[in-house]
Amino acid sequence: MMFGRIACMELRTGWKGLLIFGLLVIIVSAGMPLIFPTYRNSLIEELEGASKVNLELPNEQGGNITLSWEPLENATSYMVLEDNRSSMVMAKLKYMGNETSITFEKDFEEKRYYAVMAVLNGTSDPVLIGIAATEKSEDPFQELMQNPAYAGLTGGRSISMLEVKGFIALEFFSWWWMLAGLFIAYLSVSVIASDFENKRMDVMFSTPISRRRYLVEKFSTMSVIALFIVLVASAGLAGGLTSINALNEISAEAVFLSLIGCLPFLMVIAAVGMLTAVFFQKVRVGMGITFAFVFAEFFLYTFGSFSKNLEWMKTISLFNYWDYLAVIIDGLFKTVDFIVLTILAIVLLIIGIWVFEKKDIPT
Amino acid sequence: MNQENVIEIKNLTKMYGNHVGAKNLNLTVHKGEIMGFLGPNGAGKTTTIRCCLALIAKTAGEITIFGLDSHRDAVAIRKKTGYLPGDFGLIPSVKVKSYLKYLLSLSEYNSTKKMESLAERLQLDLDRKTNELSKGNKLKVGIVQSLMADPDLIILDEPSGLDPLMQQEFYHILREEKKQGKTVFMSSHNLAEVESVCDRVAIIRMGQLIVVEDIQVLQEKTGKVLEVEFRDSVTIDEFKLEGVSEIRQNNGRFILTIHKNLDNIIKAVSNHRILNMNLKTYSLEQLFLKYYTEEKVDERGDG
Repeated sequence: MMFGRIACMELRTGWKGLLIFGLLVIIVSAGMPLIFPTYRNSLIEELEGASKVNLELPNEQGGNITLSWEPLENATSYMVLEDNRSSMVMAKLKYMGNETSITFEKDFEEKRYYAVMAVLNGTSDPVLIGIAATEKSEDPFQELMQNPAYAGLTGGRSISMLEVKGFIALEFFSWWWMLAGLFIAYLSVSVIASDFENKRMDVMFSTPISRRRYLVEKFSTMSVIALFIVLVASAGLAGGLTSINALNEISAEAVFLSLIGCLPFLMVIAAVGMLTAVFFQKVRVGMGITFAFVFAEFFLYTFGSFSKNLEWMKTISLFNYWDYLAVIIDGLFKTVDFIVLTILAIVLLIIGIWVFEKKDIPT
Repeated sequence: MNQENVIEIKNLTKMYGNHVGAKNLNLTVHKGEIMGFLGPNGAGKTTTIRCCLALIAKTAGEITIFGLDSHRDAVAIRKKTGYLPGDFGLIPSVKVKSYLKYLLSLSEYNSTKKMESLAERLQLDLDRKTNELSKGNKLKVGIVQSLMADPDLIILDEPSGLDPLMQQEFYHILREEKKQGKTVFMSSHNLAEVESVCDRVAIIRMGQLIVVEDIQVLQEKTGKVLEVEFRDSVTIDEFKLEGVSEIRQNNGRFILTIHKNLDNIIKAVSNHRILNMNLKTYSLEQLFLKYYTEEKVDERGDG
């Protein structure tokens, strides 16, 4: 019996917590598309800010660059920062003074970015006037994504944060895996380890219930819960997209499929949680290990993206088998990945059963 | 007499690392008897019981219950077995009735009749929430759940802790179960409890079985201790009767160790004016001493 009395009892005693979590999921998944227009507007404003800074390139090699900007009222001085990354994380101070334009020699080949800032009277923090670059660009986020470190994460896709697609793909899913993954990790450990800690196992296993059936039912409870939060998130996202009239940009189907893709991903986490729970029989230990597992998978994928030589790390990461970007950006659902993770979850469940059958139930 | 064995434990050894839980333990429980399993805390009673139920693995030995292998056929055995653990938790925030019905459904037992009648006899309110129960009421839930699916074998791990009236009612229930041919295997660290309800007793200490005895034989062997103080003067010779194994005199008190013939001895005592009298059962430790050394036990029984 896959879904029987034990699973029903689990849902019956846990539905309140599940409902509260579902509410949180719906708020964030529906809220994410809703804030997109505001986000987009401020991004465009920022991009327009770049035009407040004028950059004149020399006609020939080795000439002078002239950088000029509109003067700001109350400004006591201006600062110019230089970097070859749009993120400006490694910026160097190029100029500081009262002028509103500077000229310097172009003695480099690569693309460089300049951020002009004003130090205002009476404040210590400088204010950004604008950004200019030696080569034209329309969307700095698109450029950011082409940066090797990020290109690996996006599978080399060009993703624009000015489109709702890009925004959902990068912003929504970057917290969704954590929220859903940790929730499932927490639940899968506690539905079993708390039976140990609260000494409910002796009575449970004085009834003619095998340990295998117990674990299978707990696993199916977790499947139902994972499906529930995936459906709630899909509904929330689709609802949010509808209300900003963006369903023509991402279809409800793509939203649904991108989230369904994380079902076996969540079930692998659940199987790991249950395995640690039957092995260590303690909520805290099990949760610590399962949380670490989820983050380890993420870091494996991230590190694996940094270099071709580290690609093997990516291959063994769960994240490699849940390609939500492929669904959202390219409209491609990877069925093979889905099956690979499903098989992995079942194998881990079988190992969990095997371990549980060997272990003593503590008093 | 050819008796049907419900539980057969052969050379059971259970180690917890270097610590001995049970060692070379042999024990047989017959069909239709109430078998007491007596020993101090940490003696290995719970270990033995939990091995029988396959809650823990054996290190060595063999256990058959209803002729089935305790570990291989655990699920089949549990269909006919009820168990009250020494310590257990309930699913919180549900009504006692729903919790018990849930357990019944796991046992695939459809009638709630027995559950309801047991609850009534033990005065357990089925409409209370499981997390609002006192210790005694929680124990009642445990007792009801161990018996409600009408099992052929009832295993109880230290089922004491009810108030005296309820405890008597519980013993009464156990005797009724026995009358219906059910087998009861119960552990205890209280000799008086075992004496009042069991037919036979197995005594365990430090993981090893010391003796298995009929309760009557045990009582005759160990005896009771009678302490009497008289108003008038009495000579020691008056109590040199059959069944009295030892007499001591201490500050005007007479301390008699009695093995049988209690009736005659009490009658002899009642020939005099009694100031104070106390009849005690041997304590477990004295019982062990008795079986270890086979010497006369100290008379200062303290129950």
